[in-house]
Amino acid sequence: MSDSGGMTSKGAEPIAVVDSRSTEIQAVDVAQTHGSLYSSSQPAVQSWSSSTGEQSVPNSSYYYDPQSQVSMSGDAQGMSFTSHASTSSNQVGVNSTQPYSGYAPYSSSTVPYNYNSVGFQNYYYSNHPLGNDSTTQQVEGDQNPGAAYQPLSAFPNSGSYVAPTSYLGTYYNAGDNQTGTGYENNSYNYQTGLWNDANYHNYPQHLYSSYTTSATTVAQSSTTASTNSLYYQQQYNKWPYCYNQAMPAVNGIAGTDNSHAAPSLQSAGYSAVGVGAGYPYSSNQPPPPGTTSWREDSKPPGVSSFQEAATPYNVNKTWEVVPPAMQTPPVNQQSYFNNLLKPTPLPNENQDNQPKVIYSQAPHIQHSSSNHVPEIFQTPQQTAPTTEVRQFSKVQIPTNPRIAPNVGVSLLKTQKESSGTNAPTRPAYVSVSMPKPSDKSSAEDHGKTKGTFPPSLCAYVDRSFARCKDDSQRSANENILKQVIAKATADGTLFTKEWDIEPLFTLPVEQSDQQSGSPWPITKRSPSRRRSRWEPVADENLNDKLTSVDDNATKNTSLGQVEAAEKVAVKNSGSKSVNGSVGYKFLPSQQQSILPKFSQRAMKKPRFSHTLSATENVDHSSDSDKEQNLTKYYASAIALADSPEEKKRRENRVKRFEKGHGNQTDLKISRSKIAAGSGAYTSRTSGLLKPTSYENGQSKAVEDIDWDSLTVKGTCQEIEKRYLRLTSAPEPSTVRPEEILEKALHMVQTSQKSYLYRCDQLKSIRQDLTVQRIQNTLTVKVYETHARLALEAGDLPEYNQCQSQLKRLYAEGIKGCYMEFSAYNLLSIILHSNNKRELLSSMARLSADAKSDKAVKHALSVHSAVSSGNYILFFRLYKEAPNLNTFFMNIYMEKMRFEAMKCMCKSYRPVVPVSYITRALGFSKLTQGEEIEDASIDGYEECEEWLRAHGAVITSSNAELQLDTKASASTLYMPEVEDAVAHGDANLAVDNFLTRTL
Amino acid sequence: MAYLSMGEAHRRITDYLSRFCDAVSSQDAATLSALLAISSNFASLQAPADALNVFQDSNQLVNQVERYAQFAEILSPLLRCLQSYRLGRYSDAYVAFEKAANAFLQEFRNWETAWAMEAVYILALEIRLLAEKADRELSSSGKNTEKLQGAGSFLMKIFGALAGKGPKRVGALYVACQLFKVYFKLGTVHLCRSVIRSIETARLFDLDEFPVKDKVTYMYYTGRLEVYNENFTVADQKLTYALMHCSPNKEANKRMILKYLIPVKLSIGILPKQWLLEKYNLMEYNEVVKALKTGDLRLLRQALREHEDRFLRSGVYLVLEKLELQVYQRLMKKIYVLQKQKDPSKAHQLKIETAVKALNWLGMDMDMDEAECIMAILIFKNLTKGYISHKNKVVVLSKQDPFPKLNGKPVSS
Repeated sequence: MSDSGGMTSKGAEPIAVVDSRSTEIQAVDVAQTHGSLYSSSQPAVQSWSSSTGEQSVPNSSYYYDPQSQVSMSGDAQGMSFTSHASTSSNQVGVNSTQPYSGYAPYSSSTVPYNYNSVGFQNYYYSNHPLGNDSTTQQVEGDQNPGAAYQPLSAFPNSGSYVAPTSYLGTYYNAGDNQTGTGYENNSYNYQTGLWNDANYHNYPQHLYSSYTTSATTVAQSSTTASTNSLYYQQQYNKWPYCYNQAMPAVNGIAGTDNSHAAPSLQSAGYSAVGVGAGYPYSSNQPPPPGTTSWREDSKPPGVSSFQEAATPYNVNKTWEVVPPAMQTPPVNQQSYFNNLLKPTPLPNENQDNQPKVIYSQAPHIQHSSSNHVPEIFQTPQQTAPTTEVRQFSKVQIPTNPRIAPNVGVSLLKTQKESSGTNAPTRPAYVSVSMPKPSDKSSAEDHGKTKGTFPPSLCAYVDRSFARCKDDSQRSANENILKQVIAKATADGTLFTKEWDIEPLFTLPVEQSDQQSGSPWPITKRSPSRRRSRWEPVADENLNDKLTSVDDNATKNTSLGQVEAAEKVAVKNSGSKSVNGSVGYKFLPSQQQSILPKFSQRAMKKPRFSHTLSATENVDHSSDSDKEQNLTKYYASAIALADSPEEKKRRENRVKRFEKGHGNQTDLKISRSKIAAGSGAYTSRTSGLLKPTSYENGQSKAVEDIDWDSLTVKGTCQEIEKRYLRLTSAPEPSTVRPEEILEKALHMVQTSQKSYLYRCDQLKSIRQDLTVQRIQNTLTVKVYETHARLALEAGDLPEYNQCQSQLKRLYAEGIKGCYMEFSAYNLLSIILHSNNKRELLSSMARLSADAKSDKAVKHALSVHSAVSSGNYILFFRLYKEAPNLNTFFMNIYMEKMRFEAMKCMCKSYRPVVPVSYITRALGFSKLTQGEEIEDASIDGYEECEEWLRAHGAVITSSNAELQLDTKASASTLYMPEVEDAVAHGDANLAVDNFLTRTL
Repeated sequence: MAYLSMGEAHRRITDYLSRFCDAVSSQDAATLSALLAISSNFASLQAPADALNVFQDSNQLVNQVERYAQFAEILSPLLRCLQSYRLGRYSDAYVAFEKAANAFLQEFRNWETAWAMEAVYILALEIRLLAEKADRELSSSGKNTEKLQGAGSFLMKIFGALAGKGPKRVGALYVACQLFKVYFKLGTVHLCRSVIRSIETARLFDLDEFPVKDKVTYMYYTGRLEVYNENFTVADQKLTYALMHCSPNKEANKRMILKYLIPVKLSIGILPKQWLLEKYNLMEYNEVVKALKTGDLRLLRQALREHEDRFLRSGVYLVLEKLELQVYQRLMKKIYVLQKQKDPSKAHQLKIETAVKALNWLGMDMDMDEAECIMAILIFKNLTKGYISHKNKVVVLSKQDPFPKLNGKPVSS
């Protein structure tokens, strides 16, 4: 960490030059607003202090400067302590590491402060939006301004927050980076990874070393980012999930509309916002995985689920931990939020260059966060701390749903409800509804909730909370309630269910002890989280629900306002941003405007007041209290820093982190193929991983897939194996290697079992060959064997499969029974498909060698026999057919016989002896040379039967059966084939199929 | 290439460009097609092509002048095509030309009248010729030859733009013929069916309104298709039409038509005169004809063996193979005639034994059963009138015209 501090100092110099404007402003602002806070906190947090100290300015103001500088310089590591994360995110790769390091130390030191930090986090959030936007925009162009701004957010949250921004930035920049490195590392890395590969290396180290905080940061950064105190606890569990989430989110971006993914990330960070922003988009498009997670949260809006929402959570936490502190912080928050709100428009302006997605999303997030703030703010003041916690949750609940609907609605309706809504409430962004609940008691809150949720449900919620004895239970209760309501929402029974008679769920055993005193049950959360991620969750339902709620509530104007404000901002920005380097130019302006607001200076609105009515409203809020509140906030946080609870929590985090670490490494290994030595399987998995990651990340072309690494090397030693069409990647343990396949082939060849069994075995052999990509004489042998077997069994579809494979294999120069099979091929065309052009080309392709081959010659003779209708020749050829040519001729035999009989009936008079027909039409088993007088016995009856079956008139004279040709000529017919099936493939006949036994 | 000054190069290119624009604005199809005929009229385009090698930034030239810029989509790739063609990079030339042709087609669609039909013909022709050249180049370097396929789909596009009501449909047949050429060359003859269907069954077309040369080509290809299908009557009609209307000066074309028409005629029992075979150098059919005349089965088989490759490639092998039955008929007739000369009273009883002897004398290894079978088939196919008495091993021939001539009707199957 100390190194990092040094780094920062280095960085500071260059920074100063670049960002002079922004940094200065920030410095001033920060100093004023945060300065006190920081100074107080510094002692508590060593890392922090050290970093700042090195930079030479222990004071907060200085502190900020360094950050900006650091960001400017781009030294990721050096910055770390000062919460440069945000800055780092702005800057390319190098910075990315910084956030972690910075964050980590901070958190560790501040851990006790958590809730304080939370407050800041919130603050940051609000601020961040600005920062984010700027960063994203600037991405490459102006790193400095973004950095400068972010320093404000230097707190742990900022790190997380930054991540999202970086993410956005990555999105804009290029998809390649995302997939490449991002996946292996944590979500955070992933994001940062986009910027620089180098970051990864730095990052992991920081994470581990930094300990618990890192985990949280990661989690936060990884979309969830909400940075709530809850998150810390939860994140331990979730962390991997978060990571996962991040990935999907990224995927979503790459794959579909960026708008989606981006919002999800941000929304996650802002939880509340997430709900709002996510929905509208989701309706149109498939929701990115990332979004789902927060959506679930949003589902249970009625209940406490919204803890996750950044601000609300903070509030909750603060209450629980330090009731007294709460009161002040809320005020601060508000002010901050207000400030934050102002910034939001700015981003929009900058964003002109960028896709619309950003516009809508970024603003949403910010707004939502702002909405929350007011709630929090008010509530604490009114009620006792303990109850307030509940209230918060509840209050939030109502707001959230509204927000969500608002967002959705607002997006759809757009500017419909623009400034009109703003008017009612002083803080423009605070939702109208919010203030009321805050003033009232919990019961009232519920009543308020009624607007969105059935009163019975509110009562139910109250009941459930009433039995909670302490915070941990309450949180558990919240979680469960959340789930219950989410479920009800998904079921559509939310409004129909009789909540009054619904039995209360049993509270889980207190987990607070296990959680090192943390009030929130970790274990409970993570599962629910997880569920949320993968659950279908019926987005549409939610949407509908939300919208309906919205309609009912009618009060949810806040978001609409926000939206409108956004739009305005966008428009303004559109008009304003004429410059190609809009992002660049605007950033400074943003900072200026924002910072002043922070510091409560007069500068506040100059820019944005005209653009955003919302901003103006915000300004009205109690900016003056900000500083004081913040200081108090921090002080309380510091006080908590060393509490045993916090220490335990930290330990927990460390453990969590280690888990995550394990995960990371695993992934890394698999991806980077470092573990290539570990055998075919790993290499295979890595091969598999790659394509999937590509899919997720940026849909690489199929041809880019490394098929070699996907090829399986079988390890199965079983000779016998049933065929089963693969529905997933082949498992090496069930795939037989070549030598075993050879044995298996031999087994099949010598097997006396039915064709079905052998066919099944051969298919499995073929499959194993295919998945192992074995193409040699063994392959040819297998296909030849199977083709022959199929011919013998009259299984033409299977034969055709083999024949087409053999054609390919022969073409590749693999030796086999080429002549035999080219004869089969000819026969197949002549006797089966009867395609003249195909026959011509096949014949033209025959080499002189082939034409002198016995089998091919025979096939050609069969051709001439068939084309001329020479039945005598045909059945002679039938008897002397080499190889399995007979089986092809079997196909045509019936037709040939019938044709011959027709011919005889026309040309012979008056009769033809059946004995002659028996001989001529191949009923006799004797070959030509063995003709005997006695031949009549051989096949005679069969012939007679056949003739009768085809409508021939048979007379007898002198005990000899004769075909009456004249009489028969008009009565001949082709009998229906008894076992014919509609689809023409006898092998697929139902009876046949059912009686199949292997 | 001779040294070319920059100014001269510029002048030549500008000249080309302005000629193109003039042709379009004055609707001078002849000039326009001359400018588009990259490969078939390269001599006149060599000057600008040479200039393009000197003057590299032709694109800018096109885009600078508004008059040219409106056709930039056509002209830029066209210039590139010219340059590539000049350098012998046919594959590149094809790619560029397809781009230019595409743009041109777009323009053509917007023109109300069909004044530029000639230019479209040239496009259709050039795209095919260039594709063939490009494929030759590609195959010599061991690469995939897919340009002709691409040309096929582009031609289909042109066909789509022409087929339909309106003045432009007269060009459809020409494009269809180019398509046939591509498909026959590619061996994807089955693709012709959709083209034929849209021409013959859509009723949008009255064949009479198309240019004769296109009709001849069209009939030639559709006739060939009918040969594949062994639909001899129709094939005879189409190929005969083609031959009748073929320009008397196009000996090569006539030969190509005869190459298919002769086997078709043979199979319906009409034999060509010796001079015809000689005139059009189709002597490979000579022995076949001779075998048919004399009933010499051995000669037929020999001729088939001798020219097997050629017949297989042209696709008439199977048709000629089927002539065997006619040769048998001729042989039997000969026997009958001989018997009649010998003993008119018994001439109608043709012993199978005799037939076997005759066949064996011709070197055919046949026994009684097989000979009997062949006689049965001859009767069955209406090549002989009569019946077989199995008991007596005798073919009893009809007293009236025992060996009827086909007279333009195919052998009944």
